[in-house]
Amino acid sequence: MDPILVVGSGASGVHFALTALRKGRQVTMLDVGHHGPDAVLPGETLNGLKRRLPDPAGYFLGPGFESLVLPGHEGEYYAFPPSKEHVFRPRQEFQVQAEGFSPLFSFAEGGLGEVWTGGCYPFNDGELRAFPFGYRELAPFYAKVAERIGITGASDDLSAVLPLHDGLSEPLKLDRHSALLLETYQGRRDYLKREFGCLMGRARLTVLSRDLGGRKQCTYLGRCLWGCPTQAFYTPSLTLAECRTFAKFQYCAGLYVDHFRMDAQGRVEKVVAYSADGQAHQFAAGSLVLAAGTLSSARIFLESIYQASGKVPELRGVMDNRQILMPFVNLWMLGRPWNPESYQYHQVAMAVQPPGTDECFHGLVTTLKTALIHPLVQTLPFDLGTGVSAFRNVHGALGMVNINFPDHRRDQNYVTLDVSSTPHRLAVHYHPDRAEPEHLKRTVATFRRVLWKLGCFAPARTVHVRPMGASVHYAGTLPMSDKATPLTCSAHCRSHDIENLYFADGSTFPDLPAKNITFSLMANATRIAEEAF
Amino acid sequence: MNRAELERECRTYARYLIGQTPSEYVVGKYVDFHGQSKAAAGLAGPAGLDRFDQFLVGVSARGPLWARLADAYASQLRKDSAVRKKLIVTLALLECTPPSSEVLDRVDAGGPLGAVVRLALGGMLYALTLVVSVAIFTPVRLAMAVRLGSRPATRRER
Repeated sequence: MDPILVVGSGASGVHFALTALRKGRQVTMLDVGHHGPDAVLPGETLNGLKRRLPDPAGYFLGPGFESLVLPGHEGEYYAFPPSKEHVFRPRQEFQVQAEGFSPLFSFAEGGLGEVWTGGCYPFNDGELRAFPFGYRELAPFYAKVAERIGITGASDDLSAVLPLHDGLSEPLKLDRHSALLLETYQGRRDYLKREFGCLMGRARLTVLSRDLGGRKQCTYLGRCLWGCPTQAFYTPSLTLAECRTFAKFQYCAGLYVDHFRMDAQGRVEKVVAYSADGQAHQFAAGSLVLAAGTLSSARIFLESIYQASGKVPELRGVMDNRQILMPFVNLWMLGRPWNPESYQYHQVAMAVQPPGTDECFHGLVTTLKTALIHPLVQTLPFDLGTGVSAFRNVHGALGMVNINFPDHRRDQNYVTLDVSSTPHRLAVHYHPDRAEPEHLKRTVATFRRVLWKLGCFAPARTVHVRPMGASVHYAGTLPMSDKATPLTCSAHCRSHDIENLYFADGSTFPDLPAKNITFSLMANATRIAEEAF
Repeated sequence: MNRAELERECRTYARYLIGQTPSEYVVGKYVDFHGQSKAAAGLAGPAGLDRFDQFLVGVSARGPLWARLADAYASQLRKDSAVRKKLIVTLALLECTPPSSEVLDRVDAGGPLGAVVRLALGGMLYALTLVVSVAIFTPVRLAMAVRLGSRPATRRER
């Protein structure tokens, strides 16, 4: 039997592959697979790293100062760590043009999951309304993934919107600021719930609070932002490493999959990939599972259709979560010390469902600890001397809410292939809903009021609306559908157009709730491998 | 701009930002930045800067007080100026390297009340510095603009 060919080693691809391997199937994974640097001084804390590295500025700012954020830049509030540069390293053959969308792509081992912030938020029944299955059907796969990767969480108010599945372990130690936020919430929870529909609780995070397999629990080195050196924080490359221990697994790195070829019956027969030297390689496929990420999978699909028919379809309904970053100052934490040796990503989450609406917005609350301060100090309305001094007094009081908005499939948003140039370019067209600006304004105002009730001030001028594409929660191009219409998939994510073609990434999601999508991608990929293979 | 001038800049800026002389490692990296980094294009020497930028950089390197005045002026009226970029480079290097990183992480005593008092005093000092800097640098900038009008502009000034 020809092996199952899987394209891409991101969160979806590796969990599909591992599940299929455990069922005894033979899996070949094709991947560009850019590789990152090994962890340096793995047992050292962040401040220890600064003391012991021979060139600390080279590590934190990059050998060519690539992570330095100078005045005049337009971007995020933080610098991208040099140790993760490989995640966004491009591949020359891959070209994209985008309108109203700023897409990000990864050709790294582990894909975009190598730079995620570890939030694992299961979809509930309301959020799965457009899916051909409900939470009950997906819950066993959430649990299976949780047991594989290690997820911490607690039964608290958020359980009303974040279903409690099996496999959760106890949360990490809270940092002082996060603990204060939850304490304040407890004192005002009835009011916050009644006025704003606001619920708060512990974040669900893929970081170990106890040893799992060969991985050790988090030791609070404070190095999360630069890449966990102890593997306590999960990234998909860890599951890829597990796949590689199976004799029936073949990992073919350095290959860029361009398209697949079909036989006379319209089944995928061969997959064509190119190595960096331009040489073509062909792989026979029993089944092909595209898990390269929604947009990259769309490109492979479109190129294949074009090669076979000369036609270029439009894949309508592409989605992404709009995100807004809302920095805040917790007035009760002014002048208080902060501990760099703590978990660095968000430890607290909130859900806000304003009364009278049926949409829920998800906020991830990160307190500032060890992020580089130079990108932030320059945004203060002072000279830098005053800014540095002020920052020392407010550092422990700073935090950021990352607000996620839902998105829905709309025909005006689509992905296609521009074949007028060589190489062909993926073309992404996105137009936000006309009502979006007003909608964002209202929601931001609600979150600011919630923060104020928690003792936090969120200055209006620092609110940053991230461009569409920045959240990297792409979905919806080939949705699951009960009807076998063209350019859709079955409930098991098998293409309705090509019998032995599956999509294991976000391509098949018919809706996009206001939550990090990665956990659901992993659970769904596991479900496909378990039930369809 | 030669190495000695860059080293002097770095030492002055560090004293202005954290009140301490930087380590030789920080000074060396500051010089490296001007020689290596793509981001430094235009910051390393007069050829890449317009005349007022050159002037602000030159003045700011004289001492911490001048650095504060130049920075206060730039913070409102020249936000992307070379002097501000150079100060950010210095700050970034200081925060990556002990012992300066420890100075930046240190929280002053006094709790929330002390922090509020210090923030208020800092704000007042900044306002005063800004007024003085505007009084000093605005005439210079205007004079340079007038002189510029009477001769062909350099590529950068265009």
